[in-house]
Amino acid sequence: MNYFKRFLIVFVCGIVQILFAAYSALVLYGVSIDWHINNHIFMFIPGILIFASSGILTASYYFGDKKNNNILYDEYTALRYYKIAAAGYALNGIGIFILFSIQDWSNWNFQNANNMIYQIAAFAWLTFGLLLTIFSIGDYKEYKNG
Amino acid sequence: MGKHHQNLLNNLEELRKSAGLTQQDLSESAEVSRKSINAIENGIYVPSTVLALKIAKTLGCKVEDIFKLP
Repeated sequence: MNYFKRFLIVFVCGIVQILFAAYSALVLYGVSIDWHINNHIFMFIPGILIFASSGILTASYYFGDKKNNNILYDEYTALRYYKIAAAGYALNGIGIFILFSIQDWSNWNFQNANNMIYQIAAFAWLTFGLLLTIFSIGDYKEYKNG
Repeated sequence: MGKHHQNLLNNLEELRKSAGLTQQDLSESAEVSRKSINAIENGIYVPSTVLALKIAKTLGCKVEDIFKLP
């Protein structure tokens, strides 16, 4: 593992989440882009990417070159990842609370429930997608330029 | 004294330069990223005890010579 590979892994996860969030938002607002995800298994792609990426990064941390890992996964970097996760969870908590609050519970039906799932997915993907993308770019730029 | 964290004053940049080391040299000896050394020097980040001791060991001084309470 090196800085560029880590940047690529985190950046791809972030961008894919943003694209899926955008797609979900378009579906929610009924905007047709003449392209539809017909098979809903594709909706697992962002999650699978996150699982796979986490697995790769964790494996590289435990089984990679120790000297390299001391630099790549040092305490300052870890602190920044914790801050990102904390910001993401806080934003998601607030967002999901708002999404629950704005539902029409008195007229609840299957379509409303389906829409709410899309809203939550879009919001969570957008939040973490933006955080991961911005972080990965900033992290790599710092590595290159100081 | 260089740029400071609100809870910790540091003299790292001055000591590092007087030891003739670059941030890269120091980061390699202390086994951290150069970003961490830069962040400590600029008062953005307060290092752990282990990292502070590693830096002091590399620079051949005491931790108290590098870091001081305000």
